[in-house]
Amino acid sequence: MRSIYLIARREYLSYVATWGFWLSLASVPMFMALGLGLPILIESSQPTRHYVLVDETGGELETAIAERLRATALARQAEALEAVGEMVGDNPQLQATLEANMPDPDAEADFQRVHSFEDTSIDALRPYLTGESLMMTEEGEQPLFAAIYLRRTGDAIEMDYWSTNLTNSGLRSQIRRALSDYMRAGRLMQEGVSLEVLNAADGLRPEVRELNPERADTAAEVTSAERLPFFVAVAVAFGLWVIIFSVVNMLLTAMIEEKGNKVLEMMLSSARHHEILTGKLFGVAAVSFTLLLVWGSISMIGGALFQTAASAAGLPIADIMSSLLDPGLILPALGYFIIGYFVYGAVFLAIGSLCETLQDAQTLMSPIMLVMMVPLFLVTVALDSPDSPVIAIASWVPVWTPFLMLARLPQDPPMIEIIGSTALMIFTAIVVIWGAGRLFRMGALNQANQETVKNWFRFGRKKTTG
Amino acid sequence: MSDRILQLDRVSKRFRKKTAVNDVSFAVERGQITGFLGPNGAGKSTSLRMSLGILTPDSGSVSLFGGPPRASALDRVGFLPEERGLYRRMKVIDVIVFFARLKGVEPGEARRRGLKMLDEFELGHAAHQKVKELSKGMAQKVQIISTLIHQPEFIILDEPFSGLDPVNQKSLERIVKAQADAGRTLLFSTHVMEHAERLCDKIILIANGNKIFDGTVTEALGEVPRRVILETGCETDLTALLARFGAVREDANTPDGNRAWSIELAAGADAQDVLKACVDAGVKLARFEPVRAHLHDAFVHMVESHGQTREETV
Repeated sequence: MRSIYLIARREYLSYVATWGFWLSLASVPMFMALGLGLPILIESSQPTRHYVLVDETGGELETAIAERLRATALARQAEALEAVGEMVGDNPQLQATLEANMPDPDAEADFQRVHSFEDTSIDALRPYLTGESLMMTEEGEQPLFAAIYLRRTGDAIEMDYWSTNLTNSGLRSQIRRALSDYMRAGRLMQEGVSLEVLNAADGLRPEVRELNPERADTAAEVTSAERLPFFVAVAVAFGLWVIIFSVVNMLLTAMIEEKGNKVLEMMLSSARHHEILTGKLFGVAAVSFTLLLVWGSISMIGGALFQTAASAAGLPIADIMSSLLDPGLILPALGYFIIGYFVYGAVFLAIGSLCETLQDAQTLMSPIMLVMMVPLFLVTVALDSPDSPVIAIASWVPVWTPFLMLARLPQDPPMIEIIGSTALMIFTAIVVIWGAGRLFRMGALNQANQETVKNWFRFGRKKTTG
Repeated sequence: MSDRILQLDRVSKRFRKKTAVNDVSFAVERGQITGFLGPNGAGKSTSLRMSLGILTPDSGSVSLFGGPPRASALDRVGFLPEERGLYRRMKVIDVIVFFARLKGVEPGEARRRGLKMLDEFELGHAAHQKVKELSKGMAQKVQIISTLIHQPEFIILDEPFSGLDPVNQKSLERIVKAQADAGRTLLFSTHVMEHAERLCDKIILIANGNKIFDGTVTEALGEVPRRVILETGCETDLTALLARFGAVREDANTPDGNRAWSIELAAGADAQDVLKACVDAGVKLARFEPVRAHLHDAFVHMVESHGQTREETV
């Protein structure tokens, strides 16, 4: 036990003393902050784009377009309010506050029409479109984003859209849709359909409710909050995969370095091979637990603060947070992490002990990486079809169980499957660790290398004699 | 207390189709310096690994401190393997303390001893340097300190002189002698005979996995025929005169024109008898030199003899 402790301690301290560890520690909160902040930053840093609209029909089309764009912006605001309503439940006070604070759809539009050009011919606007000349806006000098010319030929409407930006289709699409709606309405009204009927037809929407047949009728409706645990479980399974393989890769590189430094035999004179293997596994496990503890603490504190605030506001979002912090998900995730880590960690350590360089290791890693990638694909499938028989069967494969069973947990799979697959996984872990220990001893004493392992798998090849 | 620290009894070890060690028996007595000699690939490292329980013999038994080589016995052993290295990114003193603690030394005591030994090895200034900043010779000294830091009763050094320059080899010889003077038992493997000849009370010679000699240095030297070299200024052929003392071979003439002879003395023959015969025969000797056999000669002689025996057996 002394040797295991000392080896684990040395491993732990050797990682904690590196810049890489502190970067990893900071990376998750940093990426979380970036993930949340970057889209907002991009959105807020996006300048308003200005365009010139020239209606050669005398104003008929530009009026229709302005009305349509305003209606679209208002509809988008209504959708946003509806989404918030679904998230926070019935809260008229909040709903009223949000409605009162909705921005003016004209002022907040991504594209602003300008009227400041006296000469709106394309020859006059071309320098502004290409950026040779700049126009003065509230945000400073800017080029003109687009120039749009509309004309009517009989019943047809033509639009010339001038812009150097070929990829951003937002304005072009908005105007095309506005014109399309205008033409459709005009045609229907020509056929005798009144404006009231037309507006009423446009406002028709089906009322869709999702219901769970396992519940009583009164409580059968499924809310967004209830769907969340499925997504959370899949996300946690992904996270588990990433963490396990990041950590076991640390083990592999450390082992190869140690082999290259020829420290292993010095160690073997002080500790038995299984103590070295176990010590290393525990040492790196402690590193990953430190990372998880820090990341988890940050998430928990942030989550708890958010939950407290949400509860105080009487929002059902508190229930969503509760499902995120559900011990029924966190504890199995922890258990699966431990077993998955020891299985893959032991295999990676054994591979490391057989190799002098990372290039050597890559040969042996390729088939293992393929096996490792499978649950990643299956977890993606589980997102759409958590009840798929393929997922159910694959979750019995011991090296995939930690990820797939975790993704299945919110569906309440049969207890026999949970217990059976977990028992099989633990049994496999014991066998793998035992085998890896033997391989590790051979590798540490240079009695085996990557060629030895390759030879084991060369079935059916005839030996050639010289 | 038993005087026998290590005992290998009819130990064999095979790796796939190759027999690394074949039916080898030997013992290491307390307080002695034992040399474990043999050419490269003879089975020395495998034998040492089995001695410590790092490898398990296929047959035969190993007794370390009177029992099987259990992990607990390793605390009483200092082992410097042939393939040795250190954690390159650790500080020198931290590496030494780490290995000391693995052997059961308390942290404070380990640090105190480590700093003292670094001073003794003239490495005090490097205590807080990283291992990767050390020269090869300095790193080997740190490895030796790591081997000795827990003051082991039994020290096993596998090819300790390899890779060391002559100055550091001399320094290591002094360390080995100092450890022996402190009452410790040493077993070291080498294929450089000079070190063994100067240091060992006893040598064990192994070749192709078989033990071919086990005894004192004097006994080993007795295994190799003694030689006499002589040169004469006259043209007389001495073959007939010298043949009765052993195998005679005429060597090439010396640069100053003397005829040169060498005699491999037969058992019971003496260099003084050769000299007397020459004087009695009126031979004018330009050189008469009884050649003292070295362990190297004994080593080569025994290994070659063993090879011939094997070939004949086959």
